[in-house]
Order: sequence, then structure tokens, then C-alpha cells
Amino acid sequence: MSGKTDRLVRQRFAPGTTTEDLKAYMAPFVATLGYKFNTEDEFVDEVLASELEIMEKTGDVFCPCRIRTGDPKEDAKIVCPCIPFYLEQFAAMRKCWCGLFIRTDVEDGAELIGVIEEPEDGVPVDVPVCRVEDLADGQVRHIKIGKRDIALVRVGEEYFALSNLCRHAYGPLSDGVLDGCYLMCPWHGWRYDVRDGSTDHPDADVRTYEVVMRDGLVMVVVTLH
Amino acid sequence: MAVKLYALSTCPYCRMTRKYLEDNEVVFDLAEVDLLEGQERADTIAEVKALSGGTSFPVVVIDGEVVVGFNKKKIKELLVL
Repeated sequence: MSGKTDRLVRQRFAPGTTTEDLKAYMAPFVATLGYKFNTEDEFVDEVLASELEIMEKTGDVFCPCRIRTGDPKEDAKIVCPCIPFYLEQFAAMRKCWCGLFIRTDVEDGAELIGVIEEPEDGVPVDVPVCRVEDLADGQVRHIKIGKRDIALVRVGEEYFALSNLCRHAYGPLSDGVLDGCYLMCPWHGWRYDVRDGSTDHPDADVRTYEVVMRDGLVMVVVTLH
Repeated sequence: MAVKLYALSTCPYCRMTRKYLEDNEVVFDLAEVDLLEGQERADTIAEVKALSGGTSFPVVVIDGEVVVGFNKKKIKELLVL
């Protein structure tokens, strides 16, 4: 799809959608990722008004600061809110690309408007992945941070993060069953200790990630690269 | 000094960058990429990708140096304002 006006384009939002409608639908979603609307109301309204203009032409609320390439898979990554596709970069910048959303612990969003310093490689970043209450005890969820596939596990009041790929035949551990602190691969039953990624099979331990819980959010610590 | 601004008509930072350049009486070429069509659009997107490694805007090129985003400090330094 090119950016040209095309009346046959599929509209993803009801006619007459307003900036207030967008706020009401986006706020609860970004809260699950540890973000909120920028504290600069005027700026938020300006960005959302731009998104509504784009929606009129293209049918969807694409980021006003990026261009659609015409590749639907690529373009899906710039539909607002695009935070899940850029978890590590945005966590490091403490805001989304355009600054419409800022991390919940940022008090003054004004200072994040405009300056976009891309984070440097090698820096550890605490990436919010969900709220503490979003997983029940014993539940496992697959999360993707950049190119990393991670199984996020809740055991009691604690969270653990380990590589999602079983070292046996690359089965998806997040689809497995949790038995205490042991996660069983759904394909052949290999068992991994979620606390340290260890397994009884030789040379097959998986890597783990540090998990931090703060302000009701679960954050996985990754190193940028 | 050769200055080129790649911008989107919808983007608040592009507006801020444009205003900053205009307020400082900088002469610059402007490409509003989302308003282009057909081959010109595709070529310009490819140009932006080659320069910045992405498709995020604004992209300012000042004598060959590329600044992505409205980074007033960097733009000011490069323009020696």
C-alpha cells in the first residue's frame, strides 16, 4: 500500500474516531508495557491529531514520524503504539520514538521531547515486559525483546527469564508445563531449572536473564547490541 | 554549506526541525517524503534508509553529516550557529 489516498483502503477504526477515543484505547494497553502518555498534553494532542489524519488516508494509526514502506509486515511495526516491536530501544530512551509515550516512572515528559539519542551498545537496560499481576503463579509466557526469544516464568511471587529455545531440538519452552521450578519442554520433556537455566543433559543449559520488579512492573535486563 | 531536510508532513519533530532551521535563516533543501508519489517516493525512501539506516524522521544532512531526529544540539554544532 502506498501513501496515496485510496478510498478502497480498509478502515481499521470507526468513522468519527477522536483523539480522546485513541487515548482511551491506548492508555490501558501501554500501561501493561510500563508506559503512559507524555505529560505534555498539547504535544500528545498534536501527535494524535496527526495520527487521525494518517488514519483518514491509510485506514490505520501509523506513527507520524516514520514512513510506510508498502511491506505489510514492516508497516505493522509502525502502527501506534509500536512499543512491543522496539522494547529495548524505547526502554533505553525512556520513551517511544516520537515521545507520545514515556515510561511510567518519568515525571516530566517535556525533557524527552525532541532529543532522540539512540542508546549505545553494551549498555544494560531494564525492559518492562508486563505488570506483576499479569501472570498467575505457575504461568509461562513467551516474550520477544529485539531478536531474543525469552520464556518468562512466574513461580510464587518470583519471576524468572530464560531462553525460550530448548537446546535439544529447539522446542518452545514457553509452551511447556511448569513443575515447581522446573520447566518441561513441550516436545520431548527436557527439564530446565528456571532459576539458573540448568538441565541434566550435558552442555545444554540455557541462558537466563536478570529480572527486576519495580513499581508493579516486571523488567528483564538485557544488554543492547 | 549544503543542508537537506528529509521530513514527513505529519511529523511534529519534522515541523520543529524545519522551524528551527528557518528561524536561524539556514538555506536548506526540503523533501517531504510522504507527499511524494511513485518512483520518486521509493527512491527517496531508499535514500533515507541508506543515510540513516532506518525510516524514522526527520533526517537532516549537513555537509554529509547525518542527524536523525530533532537533535537541536547536534544540528547547532554542525551548523556552527
